[in-house]
Amino acid sequence: MKFNLLKHTGTYTYLIILSIFVLFPLVFSFSQSLMTNQEVNRWPPPIIPPSPILTNYETVLSQPDLKLVLWLRNSLFAAAAYTTAVLLICAPAAYAFARLKFPGNNILFGLLLLTVMLPSQVTLIPNFLLMRDLKFLDTFHALIWPGAANVFAVFLLRQFFMQIPQELEEAAILDGASYFGRFRHVILPLSTNALTAMGIFVFLGHYNDLLWPFITTSSLEMRTLPVGLQILNSSYAGQYRPLVLAGAVFATVPIIIVYIIFQRRIIKGVVMTGMGGR
Amino acid sequence: MRKRSSLAGFALFLLTVVMVFALSIASTGAQDATPIPEPTAIVSDLGTGSMKISFWNGLTGSDGVTLNDMLAQFVTENPDISVTTEIIPWNTLYTKLQTAFVAGTPPDVFMLHASEIPQFASYGVLKDVSGWYDTNGGWFPWDDISPTTQAGMIFDGVTYGIPLDNHGRGLFINEGAFEKAGVDPNVAPPTTFEGWVELFQQLTLDVNGNNAASPDFDKENVAQWGFAVGEWPRVNFLAALAQHGGSMISEDGTTVTVNSEAGVAALQNFIDLVYTYNVSPPEAGFDTWQGFAAGAVAVLPSGTWFRNFAAEQTDIEWAAWPQFQFGPGQGTWFGAHTWMLPVGLEGEKLDAVQTLIQWVSDNQVAWAASGQVPARLSAQAALDPENYPSNIILGETFGAYGVQDIQHVAVQEMYAALDPELSAALNNQKTAEQALNDAAARMQQVLDRNR
Amino acid sequence: MEKTDAIVTSASATKQNRQPFQMRLRTREAIAAYIFLAPFIIFFSIFVVRAVLSAVNISFYDWQILRPSRPYVGFANYQELFNDYVWWIAVRNTIIFTAMTVTGTTIIALTAAVAVTQNIPGAGFFRVLLYMPTLLSVGVVGLTWVWMLSTQFGIINYGLSFLGIRPVNWLGDENLVLPALSLTTIWWGFGFPMLIFIAGLQGIPEHLYEAAKIDGANGRQLFFHITLPLLRPSILFVTVTGVISHFQVFGQPFIMTSGGPGRGSFTVIFYLYDIAWRAFRMGYGSAVAVALAIIMGIFTLIQFRIVGRRVDY
Repeated sequence: MKFNLLKHTGTYTYLIILSIFVLFPLVFSFSQSLMTNQEVNRWPPPIIPPSPILTNYETVLSQPDLKLVLWLRNSLFAAAAYTTAVLLICAPAAYAFARLKFPGNNILFGLLLLTVMLPSQVTLIPNFLLMRDLKFLDTFHALIWPGAANVFAVFLLRQFFMQIPQELEEAAILDGASYFGRFRHVILPLSTNALTAMGIFVFLGHYNDLLWPFITTSSLEMRTLPVGLQILNSSYAGQYRPLVLAGAVFATVPIIIVYIIFQRRIIKGVVMTGMGGR
Repeated sequence: MRKRSSLAGFALFLLTVVMVFALSIASTGAQDATPIPEPTAIVSDLGTGSMKISFWNGLTGSDGVTLNDMLAQFVTENPDISVTTEIIPWNTLYTKLQTAFVAGTPPDVFMLHASEIPQFASYGVLKDVSGWYDTNGGWFPWDDISPTTQAGMIFDGVTYGIPLDNHGRGLFINEGAFEKAGVDPNVAPPTTFEGWVELFQQLTLDVNGNNAASPDFDKENVAQWGFAVGEWPRVNFLAALAQHGGSMISEDGTTVTVNSEAGVAALQNFIDLVYTYNVSPPEAGFDTWQGFAAGAVAVLPSGTWFRNFAAEQTDIEWAAWPQFQFGPGQGTWFGAHTWMLPVGLEGEKLDAVQTLIQWVSDNQVAWAASGQVPARLSAQAALDPENYPSNIILGETFGAYGVQDIQHVAVQEMYAALDPELSAALNNQKTAEQALNDAAARMQQVLDRNR
Repeated sequence: MEKTDAIVTSASATKQNRQPFQMRLRTREAIAAYIFLAPFIIFFSIFVVRAVLSAVNISFYDWQILRPSRPYVGFANYQELFNDYVWWIAVRNTIIFTAMTVTGTTIIALTAAVAVTQNIPGAGFFRVLLYMPTLLSVGVVGLTWVWMLSTQFGIINYGLSFLGIRPVNWLGDENLVLPALSLTTIWWGFGFPMLIFIAGLQGIPEHLYEAAKIDGANGRQLFFHITLPLLRPSILFVTVTGVISHFQVFGQPFIMTSGGPGRGSFTVIFYLYDIAWRAFRMGYGSAVAVALAIIMGIFTLIQFRIVGRRVDY
């Protein structure tokens, strides 16, 4: 196709406006993390740091009690473990819903769909009490298991498995493959993109969760990064905004890197899981 | 298409890497910039002793730094004890403490305000510390704290706390702003609402330098405000309420009286300052501390804890004044940071906690460095007027006419009903009367439910 | 898992001789399905079904979590909720916020998706860039936008000052606070719906456009007569999930406005948070959660009715 810049002026203008809308707050906050508190409180607001400093980053990272690195590790570990649990538990279930006939299929799936519209707050209190009784409070268990039966994941993976041509499985059946064999050797290899996309969304959602880890973890060693950041934020935002922003940048960069590494698979996966509705 | 997007992705990735790299390289060259104040350590492990004490408090400001310094000294004098302090913002701390009690994992000692004793005592989670006072053969001299402070330690006849300090409200004035408005910063503070209005009008300047009393005053373009109603409206209101002779609940604790004539008059004072006299920005959307730091507020009602921010975080020449007086009487809010223990604490750990609290109590003069006022009268008398003028000025007012929060098991819930109504009135969404009636109705429900 | 498979085989093998082939195959398949489902069902039962039933049960008690007594009160909690005008303020605010946010998000996400699926250089770059805010945690979003929207120091007011507009009290005006929070949320959240629309757009066969162009349709006609109708499933998905998630808005008002001014940005989850995690009234809190679930269920059904008529899920 011949490229015609003029024809696309409108598109580019729109994209550039959107990009400014998206980028400006990010750049502004990043730039403030390089300022002193006095510089931040100026009118007109400085956008470029008058004399960039890294003291905020040093302070935030060198404070032995601010354990940002430990919290990052907690967050990454909990989110990774949670993602693994979700995929291990939900992918087989989605396969059963998509491909196998069994009594109760429709009722069970209907029940699942009903719970999609349940606010997570409904289960918050009972699950908190359960965590207490299981002595799971303030452990990784509390961050991993309660959300592991992820209905959303089952729903989307089912959509995806349903589109895999039946013939591929039939070939495997002729070769004498068991149900597990078909799942393991036919379905899963065809689903890496969909599973990756699913995994990334599950991972991101968990990484950024605030309320549940806030309620269930109490010791410093168990805190996740968003919780630690929130405490840092409510302690200092009024007094040392740049310091908090330095912490925020620290918390955000790893997740941006993860996204950039996987971004192509994410789009492919979204297309393939039929989240677009087909 | 696919190639392009992967290229773009890679470019972005490279950009991030470069950014991170640039950061780490530049860090070597930027050491000489303006120093950033030492933030309060959120958690500190102090000492190496085998008797480990965990201690939670909400002293997120410079007062937390002071306390940690004191505890560091304590562990060097008591090498067999080590202390892990965890500092959590107050609102978060209430939630966290309750979840910790539910989970059965409370800290060995924690610090709350005296006004929260009834709530936690009614749950049965606080330890009776009556035996630590000299009236029961203990070490803490009961007569060395003011009667109001004493009353705050007791719930249902039992003493549950050891007070650390009195922290409360007063005014912080920007001397430069006074001079800019042509007002002598050494002027005697007014004693009537009219007098304060007049002062605030002189101190409120528009961009052309006209003050709020002038007919040319441009109220849409104010450069310097005389006053600011926005910082913690509830305690400002409580002060004015006391000044007008009102109270939050009746003496027998059964009826909410916040919407009395005195209450309406008190709240109306603040509304008038914003909307009639244009001497204060509205409550919402104005950051009072940063506003003061930027020189946009001449008289800021704040707390003893503001001292260190004013001294270290601003270039402002400031001084402390006693609380404003809008009603016929005087009154200012204060609270008491109080040591409390979980009910199950026994044995050697209890002894260690007692040693710790006793040591800090005996060294309360050092606590003045936090900006707060020591609870013990003997420590207040020993303060150095050179270094701690604001502590002394404000500390005297707490003893003379200070009022504390109501003592009630559901004080948090009552305030959760009151705060939004005060905010609504101060942002011109409701009249003072309407707001307080609405607040009173909800607060009364809370009272009745907890009868 | 290999072991599981062996169990499947042996379990069905014992029955092999007694039953007709068809039946055996079906039983075998059902057993396999249940084994595939087992881990999920176990977790689902414990953390969802049990929890929901437990929440409904708790909602009939007056239960302050640290107090020893927990009297049964029947529907009193629901009655209190129904009669609490503050709850209805919270519901109203939440509905307004959700309506603005879902509309705004859908429009921006859809137009952005159309723009980045054009066959133009740099489209991939924009696609990656526009998704970025979605990666932030709500704390970072709040921290960033509080300053963007600040009356005194805010960059938005600074920009407006060049147009001669006086400083606007974005988060302090009861009429502006919900739109301001909504704008923040659209900025944060339009990335994911955009991906959904991109996926939907890539599924529209090119020949439909070609045919329409031959018939002389212009760009706008193509969009309204081909793109939009064929994207109906995506639009349904985006709006339904959008309503569900935005109805639960909490972090933005919690961090940026504390629910104020007055109760101008007080939302239903904020209400629930105050009840359950500040006053620790778990019984009443559970009643709030159940009521919330019912409201959300109603909204979802309405949406399926309106948008979903011709969508086959």
